[in-house]
Order: sequence, then structure tokens, then C-alpha cells
Amino acid sequence: MKRILLLIVIAGSTHTLRAQSVDIFGYVEPQLMVARVNGTTYQLNSNKLRLDLEAKPSDRVTIGANINFLTYHGKTQWSIPDFLPRQIQAEIPDFKVLGMSIDPYVLPYNDRQYLDNTYVKLNLGPADLTVGKQQLSFGTGYVWNPTDVYNQKDVLDPTYEQPGHNALRLDIPLSNRTTFTTVYSPNQWDESGDMMMRAKTTVGHFDLSVSGAWQAWALSDARVIDMLQMNFYQVPTRRTIVGGDLVGELLGIGVWMEAASHQVKVNSDDWSLYQTALNQQFSTPVWSSAFVPIPALMEIRDDYYELVAGMDYTFDSQMYIMTEFYRNTWAKSSSDNYRFNDWMQVLAGEVKTIARDQIYALIQYPATDLVQLSCSVLAATSDNSGVIIPMITWNIFENVDVTLIGNYYYGKDGTAYSKLLGNGGLTRVRVYF
Amino acid sequence: MRRLLIFVLLVTCWTSWQAYGQEITADQIITKVNDLMNQKSMVATVRMTIVTSSGKTRTFEYESWSKDSGEKNLMRYTTPARVKGQAILMLNNADDIWAYFPRTQRTRKLATHAKKQQMEDSDFTYEDMGSGNAFITDFIAKRLQDDKMQDYDCYRIELTKKPDIDSHYSRLIMYIIKSNFVPVVIDYYDENDPSLWLKRLVQSDILTIDDIPTAMKMVMQNQQDRTETSMELADVKYNVELDDAMFTERGLKE
Repeated sequence: MKRILLLIVIAGSTHTLRAQSVDIFGYVEPQLMVARVNGTTYQLNSNKLRLDLEAKPSDRVTIGANINFLTYHGKTQWSIPDFLPRQIQAEIPDFKVLGMSIDPYVLPYNDRQYLDNTYVKLNLGPADLTVGKQQLSFGTGYVWNPTDVYNQKDVLDPTYEQPGHNALRLDIPLSNRTTFTTVYSPNQWDESGDMMMRAKTTVGHFDLSVSGAWQAWALSDARVIDMLQMNFYQVPTRRTIVGGDLVGELLGIGVWMEAASHQVKVNSDDWSLYQTALNQQFSTPVWSSAFVPIPALMEIRDDYYELVAGMDYTFDSQMYIMTEFYRNTWAKSSSDNYRFNDWMQVLAGEVKTIARDQIYALIQYPATDLVQLSCSVLAATSDNSGVIIPMITWNIFENVDVTLIGNYYYGKDGTAYSKLLGNGGLTRVRVYF
Repeated sequence: MRRLLIFVLLVTCWTSWQAYGQEITADQIITKVNDLMNQKSMVATVRMTIVTSSGKTRTFEYESWSKDSGEKNLMRYTTPARVKGQAILMLNNADDIWAYFPRTQRTRKLATHAKKQQMEDSDFTYEDMGSGNAFITDFIAKRLQDDKMQDYDCYRIELTKKPDIDSHYSRLIMYIIKSNFVPVVIDYYDENDPSLWLKRLVQSDILTIDDIPTAMKMVMQNQQDRTETSMELADVKYNVELDDAMFTERGLKE
């Protein structure tokens, strides 16, 4: 009902908005995903309406916003353990409340409506100030961006739009080729909030940038329930991230690199509280005859680094090829060492990857003026697993794209891209207006 | 006697003019074409229509700004909704290219091989759009037998790619209108097979704007795929003041 009311309000105000030269655009995107997991075929259908508004109330002011409406149908509750390797199933605790088992390991797809981006951009003359929920994306990598502390791309669909972030952003052009950017954003884990600074310049045919960020970040132990928050227990960390990136050309081949070094600190009081929570969760009741050992604390590295190196080329035939290598030393180098928490932290987006070394390769070819064929392979070289992703994009009518994406996992059980993740594909129709 | 002198003078001027007309070299012609095509600055709205081999059409509109005789170019799509707000910045005669995607507000620098890519799957590549002085710097000009084309008396010039130049084309044949130096037809040949005719550009609807002859319509005909893309210009203005700040990453995102 709320949705209907909101649509009526938007439709009713369209005339007024037009009078004020507000651009209204967006898209409708029905999508059907089919996956075969453990011999069973599942399907999940979603419908998305993205409504963008943009206006320039004066020469130096731009406002932008977009509202997303999403509905889900089909299998809207996915059990996470179904996708996890057999060897770590024993680590998954059995939670009981008042003697009844509860399952917190469910990935729900619930209908939702949300304001994704809502910002005001002010041209202050020597600088641009953007305030509000906005797109923040940095770095030169295609699939992975070590210097982007705000987003985590979907490795199967890395160009899909990212969510907005509440922030105050100041871009100061120091010359036609050099810009200094600083971003402040509030954070629930630290009263002083997060800060990012970046300087970007052009040298010859290369774009170079250096960046530094101070950010609060929480890591979950999915074996411990925080009864106050009704969530997995989260340990706040404070990070210092120093990095840089470059993009340019060598011998006619497009090349880029991006790297970041992370220093991670955990407050000793927070760590003690976490230890207490873990002990309480797994302590054996005095009346119980069964002894349950207290599991090891989750691992948090003091420091680690991420590195991306990529290259691309377009042939005369219009065939485009691209490859990108990614290393993340937070992740483990052998699949034998992947733990339950490692998987859960990746699924929650708290950690970027479970495999240390990965390679992405893409080949793309315009079959006709309206049909684009591509195939990408994402391989975790550190655990010999991977996924093959063929894709067809067809501009079937003006402003209508049909996309078919497949995914075939070939890794063995326990690896980053194991067959257990389920093979399948999705059909997406996007109609722009 | 006085009349005779005037007559002799006129005849001398005429024959000198004729001689000049015959002796104009390929380099001089190409320089004039280059100067005509790369005005100090230019602003235009462009309507691009792609006709596929199956007869389907797709239409795009973009605004275009160029400065410093074509050395700096900025294009921003206004329709269709699918690409609205996407922008391309080309500097240093398209040796440096940046693309901006408004939905993700991400700017990406492209390597020069991206010049070979088709603009929105049209028959125009980025190389065709923003190569600045490439006719002079990347090719050697040779004058061929003059010919008629589209009912115009034309100079016919062959441009052959210089060694070590990275271009999608091995040679071009240009038909240049003698009276105004507008290249009315350009034939493009394959980079590896100079006999393979790839595309033909036909320019028409020539108007004089600010004393500059301007082809208001261009049609690129793909000889291999039997597709074509037309570009129609509107609101053309020359030699307007454009701020350098337009041709920066900040300007790209405006």
C-alpha cells in the first residue's frame, strides 16, 4: 500500500517537477535467475524499478536522487550452509532458544524500497562540494579496486551499479590535470567517522593517483549471536589504508595497476568483550554431561595488502580482450585453511575474497550492431577453482537491452569457486525511460 | 594601347591562376582540408542514426565541443535514455581518451586502442571522430587524377599511412571539392590489406556558417557489413570561446 501511495505521489507531482525542469528517468528491470544446487533447480525472479531525478535549480547547484523498488518471487530464502564446503559444516553451531533450534544462516530476498542516492552538488568555483548519499567509486581496476574503501563489486557482474554512500565530498581541481579529493563519511563504529583523501594527476599518457583512508570496519563472528543486536557478534576494527593507482598505455596495450596497504587495529576492550561473548556462547552448562570445546577466536590480521594489475587491447576486428590479476593477502593461500567465518565474512561483504590470488579474463566481440557476445573466466589460482561466465547482450529495441548471463563453476568442494555454488544463469531485461 | 595592357594583364592573371590551380600539391590540399575541418573551436549538436544490415535503426543525440583546432574534444550523449549523460573526452588529438558513466559516476581512461572501437556500435570509430591533425601527421598525401564526385569537381588525394603509425586504416582516398576544400567522399581501406575497401564517408548538405563551408550531413557506409550510420549536425557555431576547464575530468562530469 505504501508503495502504491508513493507512486501516486510521484505521478501526481510529475507536472510540478517538469515545471521546475526536473529530469525524470530510470529503468525497469525484470530478471529471472535459475540455479541448480545439489541436484535441485531453484529460481528467483526479481523486478526492479529505478526512478532517477535530477535538477539544476541554479547554475551552480545540481540535485540528484534515485528511488529503487524491488520485489522478489520464487525461492526468496536461501540456506547458506547449502553452499558451504562439507568439511566446514561441523563448524556451524546449532543455535537453540528456549530449547528450539533457530537457523540464523538464511539469506533472505525481501521486497524493499529505498532511496539509494540523494545528494546536492555545489559548484563553489574553485571546488565542488557534494553532500548526501552519493556514488563513491575510486580506482582503476575493472573487477577489484583495492583503493575503493566504499564498494565491493559483484565479481560475476562487475559493472553493475553500486549503492550510494552517505558522505561529504570535496573535489578541488589544483590544475587542469590535477585534482585533490577528500571524503568524510559518518560511521556507526567510530564517532569521528571515516576520512579518505586522494590526489590524482596526469603524467604523459598516464593517470596516477595516491590515496589514504582512515576507516572503522566491523568483522563478524558468525558462530556467536549478539542477543542485544539480534545479529552475529561484530568486532569493530580501525584501519589505515594507503594506496595508489595508475592507468595508461604501454606499447599500444592498455595497462593499469592499483594497490593498497591496510593496517588493522582492534581495541583491546572490544577484543575482551568478544572473547567473553564467545566463551559464553560455547561454555558447557554445569548440568550437561557433553563437553563442547570452545572454538578458536576469529582471525584478524594486523596488516595485509591488495594488488591489482590488468591490461586490455582492441583488435582491428573489434574483438576486445582484457585480463586482470588480483592478490589479497588477507585471504588464505590454501583452500584447506578456509574456515566457516572466512566464508561468512565474504558473503556479508566484510572481506573482499576468500582466495588469495585470482585472475579475471574477458573476451568480447560485437557479433552485429545490436548483439554483443562475451565470455569471462574468473579463476582462483591459489586454490585451482574458477567460474566461466558467458554473456550475450542484445539491444532488441531502442532503449531495451536483453542480457543472458550463464555461470559454470568448476572448482572442487571447499574451493572459492566450487561446483557446490550451483551452476545456472540469469535473464535480465532492462527497459530505460 | 591602354586596353591592350589591361587585356594582357588579365590574361596573365588568368593563366597564372590556372597554373596555380594545376600545381597545387597534395600536401597543400590536405593542409587546407585539415584547416577547414579543425577550426579553432566548434560547438554542435549531432544526431547519429545507425541503420543495421537488417534495416533496424537506432538514434543517438550528443552535444559536441572542440577546441584548439580539434586537439581537444568533448562529447556528451543526451538521448536515448540508455546512454544519457555518458561522455567522452579526447585530448592530444585523441591520444588520451576518458569515458564517463553517470550511473556509477565513474571515469575511466582508455588506451589508444580504444580508438578502434565503434562509437555506440555505429560505423564511426573514435578514430574517425577525434583524430585532429591525423591527415597530416599520420599519412603521406599523393595527388591522383582529378575526378567528379557527387556533381562536384574534385581533387582526388590518396593518403597512405606512415610507417609505425597506429591507425585502423592503411590508406584513404579523398574526393575534395575544388571550390571549398570540403572532402565530399572519403574511402577507407583495411590496415593490413590496402585493397580491402572498408567504409565510405559521404558528406552532403553543405552550408556556409560563419564563412566556413560545413557539411551538415555525413553518412558512413560500411562496405563489408552493408550497414550505415548517418550524422546530422545542428546548431553549429565556430570560433566560440570555450573554457579549458570544460576539457578536464571535472568538465567531463558536468
